[in-house]
Amino acid sequence: MTDERIKQVSALRRAMIRPELGATTGTLLVFLFFLLIAGDSGMFSPEGIRNWTVVSAQFAIIAVGACLLMIAGEFDLSVGSMIGFAGVVIAILSVQMGWPVWAAILAAFAICLALGWVNGMLVIKTGLPSFIVTLAFLYILRGLTIWLSILTTRQTIIGGVKDVAQNDWLAFLFGGVVLKDLFAWFADIGLIEKFVAGTRAGQPVVEGVPMLVIWALLLVAFGHVLLTRTKFGNWIFAAGGDAQAARYVGVPVARVKVTMFMFTAFCACVFATCQVIEFGSAAADRGLLKEFEAIICVVIGGALLTGGYGSVIGAALGAIIFGVVQQGLFFSGAESSLFRVFLGTILILAVILNTYIRRMITGER
Amino acid sequence: MRKTLTAIAAAVFAVAGFAAPASAEGEKFVLVSHAPDSDSWWNTIKNAIAVAGDQMKVSVEYRNPPTGDLADMARIVEQAAASRPDGIIVTIADYDVLSGPITEAVARGIPVITINSGTVEQSKKLGALTHVGQPEYDAGFGAGERLGAAGAKKFLCVNHYITNPASVERCQGFAAALGVELGNQMIDAGQDPAEIQNKVSAFLQSNPDTNAILALGPTSAHPTLAALEQSGKAGSMMFGTFDLSGEIAAGIKAGKIDFAIDQQPYLQGYLPVVFLTNLARYGVMPSNPVNSGPGFVTKDNIELVEKLAGQYR
Amino acid sequence: MSAPLIELKNIQKHFGPVIALAGVSFEVKAGECHCLLGDNGAGKSTFIKTMSGVHKPSSGEILIDGKPVTFDSPRDAMGAGIATVYQDLAMIPLMSVTRNFWMGREPEKRFGPFKFIDFDKANKVTLEEMASMGIHLRGAEQAVGTLSGGERQTVAIARAVYFGAKVLILDEPTSALGVRQTSNVLATIDKVRKRGIGVVFITHNVRHAMAVGDRFTVLNRGKTLGTALRGEIKPEELQDLMAGGKELAELEGSLGGTI
Repeated sequence: MTDERIKQVSALRRAMIRPELGATTGTLLVFLFFLLIAGDSGMFSPEGIRNWTVVSAQFAIIAVGACLLMIAGEFDLSVGSMIGFAGVVIAILSVQMGWPVWAAILAAFAICLALGWVNGMLVIKTGLPSFIVTLAFLYILRGLTIWLSILTTRQTIIGGVKDVAQNDWLAFLFGGVVLKDLFAWFADIGLIEKFVAGTRAGQPVVEGVPMLVIWALLLVAFGHVLLTRTKFGNWIFAAGGDAQAARYVGVPVARVKVTMFMFTAFCACVFATCQVIEFGSAAADRGLLKEFEAIICVVIGGALLTGGYGSVIGAALGAIIFGVVQQGLFFSGAESSLFRVFLGTILILAVILNTYIRRMITGER
Repeated sequence: MRKTLTAIAAAVFAVAGFAAPASAEGEKFVLVSHAPDSDSWWNTIKNAIAVAGDQMKVSVEYRNPPTGDLADMARIVEQAAASRPDGIIVTIADYDVLSGPITEAVARGIPVITINSGTVEQSKKLGALTHVGQPEYDAGFGAGERLGAAGAKKFLCVNHYITNPASVERCQGFAAALGVELGNQMIDAGQDPAEIQNKVSAFLQSNPDTNAILALGPTSAHPTLAALEQSGKAGSMMFGTFDLSGEIAAGIKAGKIDFAIDQQPYLQGYLPVVFLTNLARYGVMPSNPVNSGPGFVTKDNIELVEKLAGQYR
Repeated sequence: MSAPLIELKNIQKHFGPVIALAGVSFEVKAGECHCLLGDNGAGKSTFIKTMSGVHKPSSGEILIDGKPVTFDSPRDAMGAGIATVYQDLAMIPLMSVTRNFWMGREPEKRFGPFKFIDFDKANKVTLEEMASMGIHLRGAEQAVGTLSGGERQTVAIARAVYFGAKVLILDEPTSALGVRQTSNVLATIDKVRKRGIGVVFITHNVRHAMAVGDRFTVLNRGKTLGTALRGEIKPEELQDLMAGGKELAELEGSLGGTI
């Protein structure tokens, strides 16, 4: 009973009906472009690579959460504020109140998960758009962050985390650097340069892979498998695709959405913890606008703003595009304020492309 | 589809092509600030590096974290180091956050000069060649001494950039000079002019015994002045501000603002470029840090300053 | 024929002062297609929502296999073997046929401590079940959005049947379809009936009802106007009953019998 008029599906068309397609092509183009115009600028030297890798990994960490949440049909605009809040919580507990750093980190995760739960429950129970509910939390959390840090330290930046975090096992998991031996060997055989001055003279300029990058890889892999291979992943698609239809067949839509809000909060807390441990301080303005950057990565990665469709791999590629372009424009010597023009342009193009792909899938004209 | 991608590529080329700086014959330096895009004060420094770049025949790029997020700034410093410039000029907006990237740049053998925020001690610890700036706490303290001598007792510190630790230090210095606790006399004003004006009005209404105001820069000083004019207190209220602008200069002339603390930002942009160029070419560098401020601009010396306010002063 | 699978006796449903159902009785036997006809606003929707556990009746009895039951939720009704295919809430267009088919009841296989969806099995069963309804898909991974309206209905029907529906309620499955798609859906209904499942076919199209129906019940203003067996009633009579008779008969006369 298939209709012969739609039977002819070209390979190209089938390849296009994949959420990652735009992002994959975009990633290749972006790399090609910067190899051509900034190939000799240090962008593809080991430190240059580390630079945009770390930035991309940061985007990827929050993009994974935002991606799954968006596919489940919701937004979280409080991600950026939660990053600032979690950081200040860790710093206050560890530096000001003398908790062991691992306990401070665990407490921050517990608080973030609870906040994610509150976000989710408010959205589910009130039936209000998540846009509004989480927008409220964007302000609430940012305000609390500034208030808490002023209250405890009379400053909006709390330093000293580096000192208390030394030799802390959990802090290493977020701020450490792995594969040091490998990179030392790279330096010995001349793949990586060594420092020429200061206390670190003789060490490789890139000492290893930051745990931040490992976290990004793990979260992307976890998110991808969860979404595409598991029952819960199917429910995420279903909850965002059509919550009512999903409920009719027994999918616990409320539970799925609340869990995704909590996962997004978890990702924000990973981001915050890595940042606090790496820089040794928390500040009230950390994470500004990160919620939008996460959403932009996800949309560039092919997810639909309306939910029900998207890809974690796509979002990760979106994060790479975002990170590489942001850092690459600098290496190419472009005026940095034009980065936003470029970003806006990419965003519009990505959304147009996504809408087009959606029409192809659903057969709308 | 193909069209879309072509459009993307075209956009990229357009952006990069349009923006490529005129390549000077000489060295390449990068100045990394902590200021968000919305901060107009940094225009003076941008103008200063343009002038210095032209005079020295070098190229100087200005970089900043768009939202003022210092963690982003740390990445920009790393990035600047990776692009192997002949020198980096950087603000020490926060020692903890920036010590890693800055010491790495130094260890790579890149000459670094710190400017604006941060202390001379921090600059030395980071391995920077020198520091050009104004000590924030001391500047706030100096302002407090002036107004305290004039009878200031209860004050308002209008902080439009509360997330920057240096801004809080200014208010604290001011409070310390008056011999009072800062407490709730500092308000988080935000960046929006209308919002700042309303917050200041509200504060003055609920704290009628306030007799002095300190604004931390043009962003907070302009709306504060508007609030004072609205309530008829302009001229009677003691009012000092950090930094200069056209409007602030006019306010000083009209007697509505007592003084502006001038840290002479032009020098913070200009001198490091000159220092670094001479270091690269002839290996010379002054041995002492440079205090570019504080200088107080009052009714007495305003004529001189006014003409150039906002651009070079 | 055997005893009814489900029997509803004198169902009343009031929403505040509004009487939506004023005593409706209805039954379905195994292997029959019982058509429920009625014009818009006759109470069809309220009635099937009562049957599928969405609404609780204000009064009246529901019997399954002769035993009285109460449904607190759609889940209870599903548990009792009553599956409902709603007109537009059945499928998620952006998801694949397999994902839709198994939604909420995904088959899993273990892999160490983890459980993943068994896509091999899921795809295979989906294709088989669709084929048994007469639809041969290119692949089970294609999005439901690429299917025609009739095919989508069939996926929903096949899903309900596969998961053990004893009674299948179809809410206006043909109302938005073209001629050919409609005949395909009607053929599917016939296949389902032959498997011994009781079908409740809601429609306001008499010709569609006559094509597959074994029994016909007409609802009007919240009441049953009577039930007739196939062969006992003519299409024109059904049409008259549905519309409340007179006016339509007159209109029909003026249009030359084309309605």
